[in-house]
Amino acid sequence: MLNKIAGHEVDRRLVLKGAAAGGLGIAGATMLAGCAPGSSGPISFGARTVDESPTIQLQGLVDAYVAKTGNEVSYNATESNAFQNNLSQYLQGTPDDCFQWMAGFRMQFFAEQGLLVDISDVWDEIGDQYDESYKIASTGLDGKQYFVPQSWYPWGLHFRKSMMAEIGLNPDDIYNWDDFMAALEELKGQGLIGLAAADKGGWEAMGTFDILNARINGYQFHVDLLGGREKWTDDRVKEVFRHWEMLLPYQNTNVLDLEWDGAMQLLLQKQAGFFMNGSWFGANFLEQSQEDYDDLWIVPFPEINPDHGRDTIDAPIDGFCVAKNGSNNEGGKDLIKFAGDMEGVQAMLDTGIPMTSANKGQDTSTYDAFQTQQLAVMGEAKYITQFLDRDTRPDFAGPVVGPALQSWFKDPTSTDSILESLQSQWDALPPL
Amino acid sequence: MSKVEAAAPPRVISSQKRRRFFSRNDKFTLGIFIGIPTLLHVGLVWFPALATIYLSFTYWTGINPEDIVWAGLANYENIFFNTPIFWEALRVNAIWLGWFFLIATPLGVLLAYQIDREIRGHKFYQSAYYLPVVLSLAVTGIIWNFLLRPDGFVNGLLGRDITNAISFFGDDRYNIWVIMIMASWRHIGYIMLLYLAGLKAVDAALREAATIDGATEWQTFRKVVFPAMRPVNIIVLVITIIESLRAFDMVYIIYGSSGGLPILGVLVFNNIAGEGASMKGAAYAVILFLLSIVPIIAYLNQQFKEDAK
Repeated sequence: MLNKIAGHEVDRRLVLKGAAAGGLGIAGATMLAGCAPGSSGPISFGARTVDESPTIQLQGLVDAYVAKTGNEVSYNATESNAFQNNLSQYLQGTPDDCFQWMAGFRMQFFAEQGLLVDISDVWDEIGDQYDESYKIASTGLDGKQYFVPQSWYPWGLHFRKSMMAEIGLNPDDIYNWDDFMAALEELKGQGLIGLAAADKGGWEAMGTFDILNARINGYQFHVDLLGGREKWTDDRVKEVFRHWEMLLPYQNTNVLDLEWDGAMQLLLQKQAGFFMNGSWFGANFLEQSQEDYDDLWIVPFPEINPDHGRDTIDAPIDGFCVAKNGSNNEGGKDLIKFAGDMEGVQAMLDTGIPMTSANKGQDTSTYDAFQTQQLAVMGEAKYITQFLDRDTRPDFAGPVVGPALQSWFKDPTSTDSILESLQSQWDALPPL
Repeated sequence: MSKVEAAAPPRVISSQKRRRFFSRNDKFTLGIFIGIPTLLHVGLVWFPALATIYLSFTYWTGINPEDIVWAGLANYENIFFNTPIFWEALRVNAIWLGWFFLIATPLGVLLAYQIDREIRGHKFYQSAYYLPVVLSLAVTGIIWNFLLRPDGFVNGLLGRDITNAISFFGDDRYNIWVIMIMASWRHIGYIMLLYLAGLKAVDAALREAATIDGATEWQTFRKVVFPAMRPVNIIVLVITIIESLRAFDMVYIIYGSSGGLPILGVLVFNNIAGEGASMKGAAYAVILFLLSIVPIIAYLNQQFKEDAK
């Protein structure tokens, strides 16, 4: 309704009549929208991070937008877990006009519930700056766009080049599972942790599950499993845990006591050889020092089943949405249009915080070495998945899979009963 | 309450008589004074509580009210038969209750008794033990997290780094006891203060009389002081039950909403907050409510019956 009024010439008397009939509250809002030429008035932006680097990046974006348009923008930051936990209430209450969110199932769910603003018209304007795959990731189940991508990052095996050189390992030579196990054995022989792992947050280990499942059983099986079309009790899933069990002797023992940043510390302090994680933590290395950042490298997770090679990767896309209940939908759209446009992307890049943008306009020749390598890792994959908690039902991923993986770490011999329970909990989910 | 009234009919009549003297103005004032809080109470306590009970029998994502679908007992079936973490959480809550009941609360009572006897330095002990109560549970959680996490103070003191740190929160063998100690740190002071207030109100003559009759310290406490403290004992018992069942803050601060140490309070939150909202969370809330309210009602009922006698 607001779109209609904002888009057409509105007879002010008609609006006033409406005010008399419809009560002041609603009419007041309508009139404001009627007066708003697209995007004036203060806009509020909700960031789902309070970390140093991303904050600098987003502030850079907002400042550039303010400098360009003169619009007033208030920047509201929330810690990411708290933001996620409150999102449903937030979107139903008085949310910021636009906010940071993730692509895929997690965005589609809220779009389905009518809490996000259709921004297909924004895509009409900036769509040619993106590859088709990003448009698909930004599209809701109804075929309309609800999301503007900001950046992506691959999940892979991270390590420190200097450390590997010292030990005499060349991770680029690690192509398959046997190579990987040999490297882990070598690290263990040196008294080091082979693979830094964490799962206190309940989600970190999902990345390892994703990649093992995709490597062993392939993309299609992985997607079907998360979509409920395959069973968790399938022997192929057991195979995933059998391989995972082989990794356990090379992992730190306090997996359940560390969150992702604890495991990252192990890599940073050169106590662990490899760290399976999303590359976003490169920014944390850069916070430490340029030297640490330059030392960081990524390779794809090794091949396990030659049928599938290394054809799949978790590469989540982060970006922005406009909240339907925000007070300034048009303003929110204008801001995320700017964020998706190369101009906004450039503003974020200018902050010096490493980012692999989804925008085609970011010249990959300006990538630093680590980013170029991320792109190479991406390039090797044929299929891209988001992440377990973005690819399956939200009432299954967090409350069910998370604790199940944690209890598997407590007792890896209980694979069968855990998988049975996962399946029965999937079966007991309410119909969507 | 109704039983008390029934047992004393004359009093009821007299109160009815008195009522006639309320003027219109009085009635209006009383109406406002009782009506507004009642409305608030009904609106803010009873309505959400009843709505939660209703919703626990439905499927709903928590967003559009028109999407609510009747599910019968499905959520409860799901919890009891398909969700192993529920039983783990129940176990932790039961241990929590047992620990509070057998160790933390008695310790608080003991401290109160010692401080009441004004042992040397009692003022210092009193403040020291009471201090944690001033802090909210969330703050308590943050403090202990700083101390015990892998890169925390204690592991630092022991000269351990993240690789070989003692896994205070991650290791199943002792994480529950670590949490118990953290919770007791606060609970003991709370009980101590409550009990101390009660002890101050006990007539000193009672104790003197007991001493003169040759009762030992333990006998005096068990046979004289403890029975005289009945109202406080009830409060302490109720608080012990409620505190251990509704535990949430501290565990949430340390583990987030993941299942690191499952407890019912976190399960409620985990299933109803965030994107994964399902009315399983409402069902957990109802179970938790019944678990806390049933023993308390049963106990109070019995106490009132004894009073009536």
